[in-house]
Formats: sequence, C-alpha cells, structure tokens
Amino acid sequence: MNKLFLKLVLLPSGLWKGMGADIPQLKAILEAKLKVDDRKPLSFGRPQRQSKPRKYGSFMSMFISFCMGLLYLLPLSLIPDRIISLTLFFSMNIVMLSFMLITDFSTVMFDTKDKFVILPRPVNDKTIFLSRTLHIFIYLFRIILPMALPAWIFLGIADGALSVLLFPIPLLLMVFLVLFLVIGAYMLILRIAGAEKFKDIINYFQIGFTVLIFMFSYFTPRVFESQLFRLPDPANFGWMKFVPSYWLALCWSWIGSPVILPHTQWMSVLAIILPIVFVWFTAKFLAPSFAKSIGAMDVVEAAPQGKKVRSGKAGSFYKKLSSLFNKDGASQAGFNMAWVQTGRSRTFKMRVYPMFAYAPVFFVYTLISNRDVSLADTWKNMVSKPYYLQLLYLSIITVMQALNYLSFTDQYKAAWVYYAAPLDKPGRVMAGAFKAVWIKYFMPFFTIITIFILWAWGLNVWMDVLLAMVNMLLFSVIMMRISLRNFPFSIMEQMNNSLNRVLKTLSTLLIPGLLGVAHYLTVAAYNMLWLKILFFALSSILLWLVWDSYSNTSWAAMRRLEEEA
Amino acid sequence: MQPIISISHLSKNYGDKTVLNNINLEIFPGQIIGYIGPNGAGKSTTVKILTGIIQDYSGDVIVAGMNLKDNVLEVKKLIGYIPELAELYDLLTPREYLNFIGKLYQLPDDVIEERASRMLDSFGLLSNIDQRMDSFSKGMRQKVLITSGLLHNPSIVILDEPLSGLDANAVILVKELLQVLKQEGKTIFYCSHMMDVVEKVSDRIVLIDKGNIVTNATIEELRSNSGDSLEKIFSRLTSSGDQSQKADEFASAFSNKSSRE
Repeated sequence: MNKLFLKLVLLPSGLWKGMGADIPQLKAILEAKLKVDDRKPLSFGRPQRQSKPRKYGSFMSMFISFCMGLLYLLPLSLIPDRIISLTLFFSMNIVMLSFMLITDFSTVMFDTKDKFVILPRPVNDKTIFLSRTLHIFIYLFRIILPMALPAWIFLGIADGALSVLLFPIPLLLMVFLVLFLVIGAYMLILRIAGAEKFKDIINYFQIGFTVLIFMFSYFTPRVFESQLFRLPDPANFGWMKFVPSYWLALCWSWIGSPVILPHTQWMSVLAIILPIVFVWFTAKFLAPSFAKSIGAMDVVEAAPQGKKVRSGKAGSFYKKLSSLFNKDGASQAGFNMAWVQTGRSRTFKMRVYPMFAYAPVFFVYTLISNRDVSLADTWKNMVSKPYYLQLLYLSIITVMQALNYLSFTDQYKAAWVYYAAPLDKPGRVMAGAFKAVWIKYFMPFFTIITIFILWAWGLNVWMDVLLAMVNMLLFSVIMMRISLRNFPFSIMEQMNNSLNRVLKTLSTLLIPGLLGVAHYLTVAAYNMLWLKILFFALSSILLWLVWDSYSNTSWAAMRRLEEEA
Repeated sequence: MQPIISISHLSKNYGDKTVLNNINLEIFPGQIIGYIGPNGAGKSTTVKILTGIIQDYSGDVIVAGMNLKDNVLEVKKLIGYIPELAELYDLLTPREYLNFIGKLYQLPDDVIEERASRMLDSFGLLSNIDQRMDSFSKGMRQKVLITSGLLHNPSIVILDEPLSGLDANAVILVKELLQVLKQEGKTIFYCSHMMDVVEKVSDRIVLIDKGNIVTNATIEELRSNSGDSLEKIFSRLTSSGDQSQKADEFASAFSNKSSRE
C-alpha cells in the first residue's frame, strides 16, 4: 500500500524537481518515514514485543472512512442539480480535511525530532519541505480515497462512465488545494512570528481556526436548506461563485452538467490554477527558509532562560485542590501531573481547547435554526421548552476530548517511572488524573452553564442540573473504565489512527445522548421530582460501583489490557 | 553476611531469543558493582528485572530477603533507579517533577520539598528549580533524573550510564557521590560502558556477554592474571578479534578492492 502511494506522490516528480527538490533524497526520506510510522511502538514497556502486522487495522480504518463516505452521499442524492450538489460534497470534504490537517497533522509538518537526522545532511530546504508535505498528503489520501469511494460509485451509476473518469481529478486538486492552503498559512505565520514563538502562536491560531470550521460546518447547510430540494433559483446562489468548492464542482461542466449560474463556467479553470499557484507560492517564497526555521525550533542546548513558572499562589492552588480531593500520594501524583501537564502541552491544548467552543456554537445553532421568528420570540420559545437539557448534556464534549487525550504524549518513554515506582494500584494514579481533568476542564464550564440556566429557566430546574451532572460523571467514568485505562501521558500517539479516534469519540457520544434522552423523558413526559430523584439515586449508585472498579485497577488488569492490545 | 541481592538461575527470553541465560549473582550490602558488557549483552534487561519493570522471567531474584516476584512493591521501595537516557516529562519544572516522583513513593510534601531543593542545590540547579525542563541541557536533565532516583533514600541504587551528558565537574561530583552513598551502606549497581570510570569506582566487576556472566571478580583479581587495563580485559573476553585490525579493515572500505590488490 505504502509503495503504491509513494509512486503516486512521486508521479509529478518533474514538478517537484522544478520546485527545487532532489527526487532520490525525497524518495528516501518518504520511504523511511512511512516505514517508521508502521513500526512505531504503542507505549512504554511494549516496544520489544514483535507487533502483529497491522493490516487488519488499516483495513478497518478504511472501512470506517468508507462508511463516512456514505454520509457524503446525502447532498449528491438529494439535490437534483449536479454542480450544486457537488459543491456541497466538496465543501464537506474540505471542512473535514482542513480540520484533520489543523488538529492532527501540523505536528508532523513542524516535527523537530528528526532534525539531527536530516538537517546535518546535504538536503535542501525544498526537499525537506516537500518530504513533509507529501508525507501528510499520503495520509490524507489514505483517508480520503475510501471516503470518496461511495460518491465515485454513485456518480458512475447516476451519470455514467464520463463522470467516473473525471472524478479523481477534482478530488486530487481538492486535496492539494487544502493541503497547500493550510500549510502555506502556517509557513506564513512561521515567517512572521519567527521560530521561537511560532509554536505558541500557532496553538491559538489552531484553536481559533477549529472554532471557525465548526461554525462554518454548522451554518453552511442552513444557507442551502430552503432551496435544497427544489430546482435552485440562480438568484439565491450568486455568492457561490466565490467558493472554491464551487470551482471544483464546475469541472463537471466539462462533461455537460448544466451550469445554473450564468458566466461562471470559466471558473473551473480556477480549480486547476489555484492549487498550482499555492504550490508555487509556498515553494518559491515560504519553503526556502524551512530547514532554518525547523532548526531554530526547540533549541535544547540554549542557555536555560526558560519560562519561569510561578511557584507562588497560583502554583499552590492546584496542590490544595489535589490534597483536598485525593487521599493517597499516588492519586495526588496523578492529579498534579495531569493538572500541570495539560496546561503546558501544546498538542493537548490544541486538541482539547477548540472543543470548548463546540457546545456554545451548537447551542446557538439550535436556537436560531428557526430563523423566521424574531430574536425575542426565539428566546421566549427557548425558555418555554427544556432546551437546557441539551445545553447541560452538550457540556460533556469539553471533558470528553480532554479525557481522550489524557494518555497521549510524545514523551511516552518518560512513563517508565510508573513501572519503577512502588505503585500499589495503577488505578490510583489514573483516578487522580481523572479528577484533575474533571475539575480543571469540566467544572468551570459547567458552573457557567448552570448559572446561565438557572437565570434563564429559573431555579426550579436545579434537580435537572444535579441529575445531568451525575449522569455525565457516570458516563465519563464508564468511558475511562472501558476504553481508556492508561497512565496519564504514557502512550505514543499514532497518526494513522487519528480518524478512528475521532469516530470513536463520536460514537461514545451516543451514551450521554441516551442518558440525555432518558432524562428528557422523565422531565417532559412526567416532570415529577421523585422520578428525577430516583434516577439520580440509581445513577449515583452505578457511578460509585464503576468508580470503585476504575480507581482500583490493578497491575494484573493493566497487563491483561496490554496483551489484548 | 547475607547478600542484599541474590539472583539465581535467572533467564529471560523474547520469543526465540535468549537475552539472559541462567544468571547467578550475589551482591553484598555496601558494595559498588560495576555491571559491564557489550551492547545487547543483557545489561538493560537485568536492570529492568531488578527494578520490577519486567516481571515475566524465570529463576529467582531475592532482594533484602524478599522474593521479587511476590514482593514487587516492597522491593521497588528499596530501589532507586536512574535510567540511561534523560527520559522525563520536560514540560514540568524540576520542583513539579520531583514532587510527582516523590508522591509515587508516598513521601510527604515537606520531605520532598526539602530533599529536592537540597539535592538540586548541590548540583547547582537550585536557581532552575521553577523553570520548565524543556529548555534544559542533557546534563541538567540528567542531574534532575539522578535526584529523582535518590529522593526516597533507597538502600539500593541502580544507575544505568549515569554520566552520559554530564560535564567534567558533574562527573567528579557523581563519582564522589557514589563513594558517599557507599559509606552510608547503600548498595550500588553501576552499569556503564566507560571502563575507566567503572575501573575506578567499582568494588567488584561483573562482566556479562550474550546473556551469560563471563567474569565476576574484583579489579585486582582481574589484573593479577594479565596486568591489562579493564578496557583490554573487556575486549579480550567479549570480542572475537583484534580491534585495531578491525579498524584498519573499516578504513580500507574507502579504497576499492582492485586498487588494493
């Protein structure tokens, strides 16, 4: 598989050579990187074991991508106008791609780990730059290909052979467009900010950008909605000619799909020119200083004038919390470690912080979904219905992502301490870390939401707030107990599994959804206090049981888990 | 005297590959053991077994009268381990990292605080105690790691290449430290490739090769046979040929065969 993709990305080697890359070097670097990716150990203490071939794993992730691709069939099958339906199709793909690029793959782009391997060799900037870009491209393509397969088949059935032949061209163009746009933007920031500050700045940029993508992906379909299923009226779609996904969709005009916006057919040329311009621009202006910048990042041997961490009041605050919520040393160690590390790890912040925006964005979205009424009516409408349940249960998203990424780190090797220390039960450290994340990331958010709810809906919903909190706590502990029993910051993150993880997160969201629905039923259908109290008591008992099992996780259980993995 | 560590018939396999092959070794309290051997001889595996990181092995390891298999936690409490590479969570500050480690050993806060600052002070790192370690040099990290291994006042100290990355002054300090720890009655298990240091600090030298103990003797006993330095003895016992001849062969790779002939 790797070989095939390698051939594919080296197909335009004339172009890469024209950009200034050395093709044999480029090939050698890519080959080595792909091999390394396939062989990465999973966690501390397991590298010696010969890992099983992961063919099944990559097949699985392809299958999941394929299933997601089925979802993308919706616009294609529902909207009669081919070009508009494809515009929506490409928009969905672009959002998905840029989201993955920004959250998962930027670390690959600006990885400094191999700087002592490659930088001292006679390899030029453009080769290094391209090796990283194409490395990412291979991973993107591995995901996008099975994801696009359903659409490809659909187009074949609906439109015939010409459409099938055409399809890969705009698809490739799209991947290039997004890839070089995002990477170009990063390189531009790198240029402006300088290597030392880059990683801090980029972190906030990523968070902001992710929030934007969220908003975009929620609000765009609304714009289409009213005209979606009728034959579209060109007057309503004038703005579309400024959207790149429309240009990509216009490629279908070459094989006779009607163009409803007048005088826009020529724009399909943009779909071809734009990626080329981006590639050219990044290669010409941004890539030349790439190696220098990478070299200047994370300079370890510099004089230690590193960030001084306040050890005064702010430092002791979490320690107070730690001794308040944890009795034994191991839990406190886990708590302190998780508290400090989550606030400083850039990868962690980047993955988790954007999620804080998710709940409010989603909430606002549901509120304004009936746009026809006035804002005052919307408010009245909202307060009269138990919308607050949605808000309460959505707040779990913030902590879910944090819990999901709690075990991952680049420095998984540092986890040897857990194995060398006289730890009675690994579960203690995990429990401490869990509490830290819960208190640090969930409670402040939940408190704000609670204040808002009590203000908007009135104090009489207090029992619902309590019940929702216990339910979410229950859910999080179940999730940790079942699938995330690891030491905090002890596992290597694997790039090839990023999609699986996103989907796993989404699918585990079903449980809080179900709990939410059950809660809704007791409120809306009966709204009896004693029923809620009963529900609360049941959830609490269950919580206690699961927590007990989680926080007492033994070494034997850890070993079993490792063997299963 | 009772040995503090007693290893008998210790074997370990990874699949078909035998890494340790029936190791028998007794170590007495207050000794510094130099544990040497070529790369891949099984040194790290022995260390990982002694520290309780690897637990599936065959044979018996008795530490302070306790069988390691049945009393992993008790044994871990006695052992301070300082690994080879500075693998630590470098986003933490030394104060935070040492607090984290101390808590894993169930030490109270004030003890951790006091020991950490005094130990770091002697390493000249006190002014860096509240700085993140991601800006630290290799030597600074190594000093923090050494501190973290000694924080709980272990009676057995296992050091794996502890001098890597340290500057000359720190090397002297660590060597002195080993003698002081020895005088306090601690047992030190010292793994290294630096023969000159091993030669100077160790009471006994244990040489392991291909999973077997080849030699277990004092440096005087070793020398009495040949009078060679430890380096030479090491080479004679573990290598299949003359190293200088191999170096010649290596360098001759640049010239092609036909021109040599």
